[in-house]
Amino acid sequence: MNQETRQHVTLQITGMTCASCVAHVEQALRELPGVSKAVVNLAMGTAKVEYIPGLVSLDQMKQAVRDVGYEATEKTEDSQAIDRERQARQREIRRQGLYLLFATPLSVLIMVGTFRDYWIFPYFVPEWLGNKVLLGVLTTPIVFGPGLQFFVNSWRGLRAGVTDMNLLYATGIGAAYLIAVINTLWPTAGFGGEGATFYESAALLTTFIVLGRFLEALTRGRTSEAIRKLMSLQPKIARVVRHGTELEIPADAVEVGDIVVVRPGERIPVDGTVLEGYSAVDESMITGESLPVEKKAGSEVIGGTMNKTGSFTFRATKVGKETALAQIIKLVEDAQTSKAPIQKLADWVAGHFILGVHALALLVFVFWFFVGYNAFFDPNTGFLLSPHKLGEIGVFGFSLLLSITVLVISCPCAVGLATPSAMMAGTGKAAENGVLFKGADAIEAASKLTTIVFDKTGTLTKGEPSVTDVIALAELPEDEVLRLAAIAEKNSEHPLGEAIVRAAHERGLEIVPAESFTAIPGHGVEARYHPHPHPLSPGRERGARGEGREILLGNRKLMRERAVEITELFAKKAEELERDGKTAMFVALDGRAVGLIAVADTLKDFSVEAVQRLHRLGLEVAMITGDNRRTAEAIARQVGIDRVLAEVLPQDKAEEIKRLQAQGKRVAMVGDGINDAPALAQADVGIAIGSGTDIAKETGHVILIKEDLRDVVVALEVAQATMRKVKQNLFWAFIYNTLGIPIGAGLLYPIAKLVVSPELAAFFMATSSVSVTLNTLLLKRYRPSFKTTLSVPSPQPAPTVAAVPVGGEKR
Amino acid sequence: MNEQLHRKALRLSALVYTTISAVLALAFLMAATALGYPITARVGGTVWVFLLSMIVSMPLVTSYFKRRYRGE
Repeated sequence: MNQETRQHVTLQITGMTCASCVAHVEQALRELPGVSKAVVNLAMGTAKVEYIPGLVSLDQMKQAVRDVGYEATEKTEDSQAIDRERQARQREIRRQGLYLLFATPLSVLIMVGTFRDYWIFPYFVPEWLGNKVLLGVLTTPIVFGPGLQFFVNSWRGLRAGVTDMNLLYATGIGAAYLIAVINTLWPTAGFGGEGATFYESAALLTTFIVLGRFLEALTRGRTSEAIRKLMSLQPKIARVVRHGTELEIPADAVEVGDIVVVRPGERIPVDGTVLEGYSAVDESMITGESLPVEKKAGSEVIGGTMNKTGSFTFRATKVGKETALAQIIKLVEDAQTSKAPIQKLADWVAGHFILGVHALALLVFVFWFFVGYNAFFDPNTGFLLSPHKLGEIGVFGFSLLLSITVLVISCPCAVGLATPSAMMAGTGKAAENGVLFKGADAIEAASKLTTIVFDKTGTLTKGEPSVTDVIALAELPEDEVLRLAAIAEKNSEHPLGEAIVRAAHERGLEIVPAESFTAIPGHGVEARYHPHPHPLSPGRERGARGEGREILLGNRKLMRERAVEITELFAKKAEELERDGKTAMFVALDGRAVGLIAVADTLKDFSVEAVQRLHRLGLEVAMITGDNRRTAEAIARQVGIDRVLAEVLPQDKAEEIKRLQAQGKRVAMVGDGINDAPALAQADVGIAIGSGTDIAKETGHVILIKEDLRDVVVALEVAQATMRKVKQNLFWAFIYNTLGIPIGAGLLYPIAKLVVSPELAAFFMATSSVSVTLNTLLLKRYRPSFKTTLSVPSPQPAPTVAAVPVGGEKR
Repeated sequence: MNEQLHRKALRLSALVYTTISAVLALAFLMAATALGYPITARVGGTVWVFLLSMIVSMPLVTSYFKRRYRGE
């Protein structure tokens, strides 16, 4: 099936609590004919579905999700949808909070009543509070109030033939409550009698699970803060000028071409180009740039950024989904709904876990029923961290207790949350710093890189030549040499000529027009001019004797051909400049060499620092360029690059990347997202740099909004920090289950004569989920290393300019 | 898979997993009876084994029949 015929839809799923829910929803969607891909993100509560229109409808997808016990609605991208999601999350927080408020005091009362005969309780707890019937009456509203959600959800799942966390809770709470009721009403029925009325188990189990849900709802919202922050940047109102009148209209109603007025302290509603006015705009929320950016006529402005000082008007160029902000939000959302390879493994394990746990609970029950109870049971058995003794509990009650504990302690909620919560926090943090990851797989891949390949022109260098050196012979000042060269090049359209004219303008030199101008291809230019302006004809100059003067600007060959003498010192100086990769041009006036001008592509700010920081991360840094080896090596030396891939044609860059990958290296390519697209696509991680606001055009797995090369370091640091969190989370989640399950199953019982009560198991389970989420929240403290530590001094001080003859020698 | 086949798969799988669970529960009951366990332990244990067996076998059997009816 052709990829173009497929469409994508994102569904908002409610009711998912664990990784097994993820597996159920994904399976239900994938089973539909016409659905080719379904990826569920537990932390965001979304399902991204790829489908073939005509074969399956949105309603069928929603029904399939409903059939397995969850609710699905189409996720929309407007700010109202975000508001609805936030409201839904707040409703969930409020609901679980109310349950908690209701269940906690009752559970404490039930616990105190249950243990009234122990420790100091007999001195102040009235005897009636220990009455089993009263305890039963107090427990019932907890089980059928806050606990009812688990029964309802597990029943919905069971009807569809799926099992999830709710079933673990429901069987645990239900069995503890049922046994307690039987032992209260019929103490001689053989289920352990009055000594086995574990009302506090049912009550505390419910309370701890609700506590876990409450804390999860609280913290889950915080990991997805990035999207909400971005959404909140979108102003609701715009002030536009239509038919000469200034109107306040909803920002959504601004159209391309509208003239928009922005005053100090207001947010810019859409993208556009400044027409008039002057101001400084804080773009930090979009680009990560901490200093306000100056805006004047002709400057681009980004919707969502904050105008600081002045007023200005601009013409809207992009509105609605086309704005940079909308594109960034979409990109971050896409990244957060995608799944990293490591998460697929965790989901698979967690998804199959529930079945395994129930099978294990069955085995544990059968073992303790037929073997363990008779061999090891001791009536003095107590619960871990509890004064309660099991007393005369029978074989069934004891085996059931351990079986329930296994069910409760095994909940893989933490496993399900470990990866997506960290990925969400990581992509959000990166976006705050102007780094956009297109998917969770890009984060994982970026954390494993060994080699970073930079494209040279336009990436490490500014991509436009500029004058780097002006050397004059004694009798003329430097500025005069530059002025002569600029006069000769004034009519030139060659990039080197433009660089010289620009440099002369920057120094405020007066450039009179040349009387004649001749380009000598491959050599340089010659021009004639009059040193004194003609009194009647502006722009025309007249020599002392009424004659013009001849300027010659070009390479050695041109000087030789025109018999201009080059001194040995001058020739040496030119060679030195060329060794640094610069294009050296001799300036001659009336047949005498008067100076030397060097032009080169200049390094971007922070190129050297970025490479140094990449080295500190232990990465090999390479540069790929079409330039000749000498020039490329000159640049590499100055930036501190380890490996140079020179004389590579644009179309062969992808092949070079492939060659590096064949050597076992995991390669990132940093380049222009449009020109270097094949190489970016071939690399393990393609990093498109300096896209500005035109994000949609970019290829590559990571997009850097600014042209600051240090953002490459930010991307890798965020990726590494995120994957560290993922691994820590998975470790803690699995270690909890690995240690908890055998202890819960009674493995240590023959030695310690202690068992874990179901409520303690529930407490451990809640702690595990919350600790994973809290650990993830530590990512919020991340700050790019270049903002927290000083730049490392270069081993050999790098000049601010590097050399690239931009076709200069061949002019 | 059309609705009719879907229902058929669900019906057949319900029959199979219920049978499997009943057989396991019955085996438990016979073993517990043979070993002389009290009646409450036998009944309670049988119900618990049946319940857990249903939970374990239900998704396995259901997805097996769904796959079969989809022709995979």
